[in-house]
Amino acid sequence: MTMPIRKSHPLFKILNGAIVDLPAPANISTLWNFGSLLGLCLVIQIVTGLFLAMHYTAHVDLAFSSVAHICRDVNYGWLLRTLHANGASFFFICLYMHTGRGIYYGSFLYLHAWSVGVVILLLVMATAFLGYVLPWGQMSFWGATVITNLFSAIPYIGTDLVQWIWGGFAVDNATLTRFFTFHFLFPFIVAAATIIHILFIHQTGSNNPLGIVSNVDKVPFHPYFTFKDITGFIVMLAALILLTLLNPYLLGDPDNFIPANPLVTPAHIQPEWYFLFAYAILRSIPNKLGGVIALVMSILILLVLPFTHAAKFRSLTFYPLNQVMFWSLVSIVFLLTWIGARPVEDPYVLTGQILTVLYFSYYVINPLTLIWWDKMLD
Amino acid sequence: MASAATKSVGFLGQLSNSMKRFVFRMSGYNQYGLFHDDCLYENDDVKEALRRLPQNLKDDRHYRMHRAIHLSMTKTVLPKDEWFSYEEDHTKGRYLQPYLQEVITERKEREEWNKK
Repeated sequence: MTMPIRKSHPLFKILNGAIVDLPAPANISTLWNFGSLLGLCLVIQIVTGLFLAMHYTAHVDLAFSSVAHICRDVNYGWLLRTLHANGASFFFICLYMHTGRGIYYGSFLYLHAWSVGVVILLLVMATAFLGYVLPWGQMSFWGATVITNLFSAIPYIGTDLVQWIWGGFAVDNATLTRFFTFHFLFPFIVAAATIIHILFIHQTGSNNPLGIVSNVDKVPFHPYFTFKDITGFIVMLAALILLTLLNPYLLGDPDNFIPANPLVTPAHIQPEWYFLFAYAILRSIPNKLGGVIALVMSILILLVLPFTHAAKFRSLTFYPLNQVMFWSLVSIVFLLTWIGARPVEDPYVLTGQILTVLYFSYYVINPLTLIWWDKMLD
Repeated sequence: MASAATKSVGFLGQLSNSMKRFVFRMSGYNQYGLFHDDCLYENDDVKEALRRLPQNLKDDRHYRMHRAIHLSMTKTVLPKDEWFSYEEDHTKGRYLQPYLQEVITERKEREEWNKK
């Protein structure tokens, strides 16, 4: 009997190895849906973004009104714009759920996949930051000004670096055009990095909620997880469509409906919700360079996780004390998100500083508690 | 009269013992029908120790892990009367330890030798 075409054809056998005959643990839960959901989010952002790019003009005098033109005159432009803006929010919901799953279940022990994953997170954050500048509203302009100015904290080269990034002496037309260029380019780098990320995962196989080796009970990806992923797609698309059609600007900032004015500073400059926790950490440190380092470390600390893992078991499933600590970390991030949206006044300043210390403490206290728990089990 | 073989345990010893039993109960891997050594993360030492495990112990291990994954998939646990006890976990449940200690000792000897 000849081999089925899905196994013998040079192209189809690659797809077969990824989404048909791939052995998957039988017990992976809904938290394992977020990988495929991230792929869906990327496709949605690229497709809506491509169509937006057909009508958008990257020039300081035309950008804001080109976005209004898209929303008012382009066929279904209003839908493309709101899907793209809310699609970004869903991208970050899925990213944080996916990363949280990785932290809880010890998936970070797949070092290559984890490292590429952190790179993807940073690239997507950069892409979102660049994209938010493009409508050229007040928050676009002032958010870009605040964040790009942070690079001036770098000793010696800081000022020159910032002016090189700006293409001038302030955020202006040169900045906007290059931000559009990079916002267009980065998603394709993300797509390539995603393929590498999946390649590494397929070398080892997926982790599972118990954290034990699952070779004894694997099932084929199709039909179990193809249909489970499709279910996830339907749920996420339903949520995205509900938000986009019923309350499209719920997660946005009203100040971005005002065209950018370098002479008028908004009362409260703040990024979109998905950056607020990092923004709170940045503002907690009274020193400019210190704040920038804390901001960068709040994400890069994820790379330290594989090297501080000293527990006997992989997942937190059998470590109830550490589960409490993990959910405390989640609460801390939610509270930091709230603080990031508050003005820099009492009592928010001290609260933010305490939460920042607690956030970084998790990465120290968690491994020590795991070691103690293991000693008690011995 | 107390048996000569019974060693009396002080207050701290009893407290430590109670604490260890509490930690074992709270960990919960026994509810999935797993022993302590079934849950070990498979680093290089554990992989080598598993390679040296006799076939009957390997088969028992695979059976327990298969059962545990099925329970995890159905989001249930074993009936309470089937949960391994603390004593069972500390005797039968440490089946890999002799092999693991052997592997670790050999590795340390090799590392020491390579330093010279």
